[in-house]
Amino acid sequence: MKTIRKILISLLILPITAQSAQAFCGFYVAKADAKLFNNKSEVIMVRDGIHNVITMSSDFKGSLKDFAMVVPVPVVLKEKDIRVVERNIFDVLDDYSAPRLVEYYDQNPCAADLYNNNVSDCLSRVKPIQTIALNEENIDKKYGVKIEAHYSIEEYEVLILSATESNGLKNWLLDNGYQIPTAAEEVLNPYIKSNMKFFVVKVNVEKAIKNNTGYLRPIQLSFDHEKFMLPLRLGMANSEGTQDMIVYAFSKTGRVECTNYRTVKLPTDRNIPLYAQQKFGTFYKSLFDKEYRAQGRNAVFLEYAWNVSPYVSMKCDPCVGPPPINQDFVTAGVNWLETPNPTVFFTRLHVRYSRDKFPADLQFQVTPNTENFQCRYILTHPASGDLSCEQGQNYLSDLYNRRKREIDEVYALAGWNYNTLATGYLNEIVGQMKEKPQQDQKNEFIPTLPDSPSPDGNSSNPLPGILIILSMLLIATYKYKLPQKQNLSS
Amino acid sequence: MSTLTNNLSRHIYHSGILKWLRSDGRHFQIISQLAFLAFGIFALNWDADWQKYFAALVGTFSAQALAIHFKVAPSNSLKSALVTTLGLCLLMKANSPWLFLFAGLFAVGQKFLIRVNNKHLWNPANFGIVIMIIISGESWISPGQWGNSALLVFIIGTSGLAVLSNIKRLNIGIVFIASLLILEYCRVVLFLGWDTDVLFHKISSGSLWLFALFMITDPMTTPNSRIARIIWAIFIASISFYLANFHFINGAPFWVLFFATPITPVIDYLTKHKNFSWNTSSTNLNTTTK
Repeated sequence: MKTIRKILISLLILPITAQSAQAFCGFYVAKADAKLFNNKSEVIMVRDGIHNVITMSSDFKGSLKDFAMVVPVPVVLKEKDIRVVERNIFDVLDDYSAPRLVEYYDQNPCAADLYNNNVSDCLSRVKPIQTIALNEENIDKKYGVKIEAHYSIEEYEVLILSATESNGLKNWLLDNGYQIPTAAEEVLNPYIKSNMKFFVVKVNVEKAIKNNTGYLRPIQLSFDHEKFMLPLRLGMANSEGTQDMIVYAFSKTGRVECTNYRTVKLPTDRNIPLYAQQKFGTFYKSLFDKEYRAQGRNAVFLEYAWNVSPYVSMKCDPCVGPPPINQDFVTAGVNWLETPNPTVFFTRLHVRYSRDKFPADLQFQVTPNTENFQCRYILTHPASGDLSCEQGQNYLSDLYNRRKREIDEVYALAGWNYNTLATGYLNEIVGQMKEKPQQDQKNEFIPTLPDSPSPDGNSSNPLPGILIILSMLLIATYKYKLPQKQNLSS
Repeated sequence: MSTLTNNLSRHIYHSGILKWLRSDGRHFQIISQLAFLAFGIFALNWDADWQKYFAALVGTFSAQALAIHFKVAPSNSLKSALVTTLGLCLLMKANSPWLFLFAGLFAVGQKFLIRVNNKHLWNPANFGIVIMIIISGESWISPGQWGNSALLVFIIGTSGLAVLSNIKRLNIGIVFIASLLILEYCRVVLFLGWDTDVLFHKISSGSLWLFALFMITDPMTTPNSRIARIIWAIFIASISFYLANFHFINGAPFWVLFFATPITPVIDYLTKHKNFSWNTSSTNLNTTTK
């Protein structure tokens, strides 16, 4: 039995070690991993037919004895269906699928080839599942709460409860020392009525301390059920703001997508200025935030989708980290690796949810969609050496225009305004040019719009308005027509 | 404003656009579907795969052209093929353009190959989508692709255009949505105790509205009798509700419509109503629909 090894806080602070891995198209130089986002949780979901394996990682910060987690589950889990896994699996999956920054080098048109590639890293994060404090007790008819099962699994004490009414469950939890938010009751009721059970966990502090992992290890649940969903609502009962969640999903056939919210791809393969490299994490956070607003704050974002089957050699372009090995898949809950030519399709989804924009729990489906996708942003280093020849000057002219486009792009993606960095970025090129670009050209791209995203992404979309106006015109036409028709017939 | 719209309306009316629009219910469908496709591509950032859209067009038009050639379909029936194409583009997802081509061929082809009492059975787009999911394993429906913000566009766009068209069968879509709304209200709000925004979220799914307004309303494949159509809509809604809530089937209405369609000839036999035709005059239409 393994023990808790790291300090909880370290989860939040530990930077991910960026490993360079050369791929055929370049080097990875930076990534935007889950640790960028505060107030996040991470979930691994494996779906095979109706078999589900759900692994939850919480970034709980506080005293271990205060930790508790309540997760609605559709069935009463057996002891063998609950495992504790190492936190490491999340790091492997996060590192591997995080949005990435890659770099390329231009060739000097005046000199010999100088070709090099580089890739950088990216970040993404998820939000924690709702946590509440809890204390076990036996069946209590007074509360209408039944303890379906009680297990001690490594450092966790697990109870599976069923209840007949929310008030009883709430009171039971409160009376047993679990602090649950006042708003939880109205959310508990629908889960009780849906015949859901409550998977309630607290930490056995003694065992946890003995294990000395320093952080709470993820818990993995396996069960068979047609439902393929993540219950979010309980987690929102005590949270006013937004929470991030990163879902690493594995299927046998293809992408996992949300069926009751839109699943939207984040912008990818965009060229951004070199100065973005140092702040790639900030860049990606801004990009995500901008896109989140632009999509009406209620979309689920696709960050990565790839066939990572053992028989597929190229799993990323370029790779941000070492690809997950078979053991990682097994740890995540993929149980079909023994079959001949097993297909493992990896989808990474990032959702930022809030009570007002995500009223219903997330529901998913496995699709046969095998199209690969990754969030990749591209840096291009200029050619070095003497560029005074004619081709060299033409190259500089192209490079100047390309940098202008990169500055525009970084504004469009992350809202980074034209600033001294951008000026310097262009002047680097201008300095080498014999024929200087005209001043008005130089400034034509400067964004003039205020850098404040619209408060609600819906309002930025003109099409609904156009359609509504069109419809109203047509309705007006119809009204006008009626008397005419009567006249004609008379 | 009203003077302006009235003047504009008068202009539109005299230009003959309205007359043209009302001369055939499919005109209304094509315009609406094109608008929704544009909305999906430009406002919802869908991956517009023109190759796949083109493949669907080739599939449906080939089958329809063949039918016209052999005089089993009227010469103006390419419009129907276009409606089917747009239906496939709006709802179907597949890994390869070939699947769209075959979906188009099957969707339109079945109209002429599987006929009972001189009437085809399945809504072509519904048939094409479901049959490709079953036989290819590489095709799927994305019920979440519309999100929920599209609702207003759907309702206003469709109702606005619908009053101008002579499709009288929009009632079946309204009955379908209303039945589903009542059932979901009873379960989600009254029984489970969720707030009404959960109900609204469920019922405002764009895919559901597309189904209600364009698929279940297909006058060629619904029962001919008005009463039977209403019962039909309630039946489809009830089974969809059951499958979606108790068996967690995604895109349940599409499956229910597919498997329930073979019952329509029986209903027609029992109610003995005349078949619908797209090009009947409005007088005839009224007699057939009422």
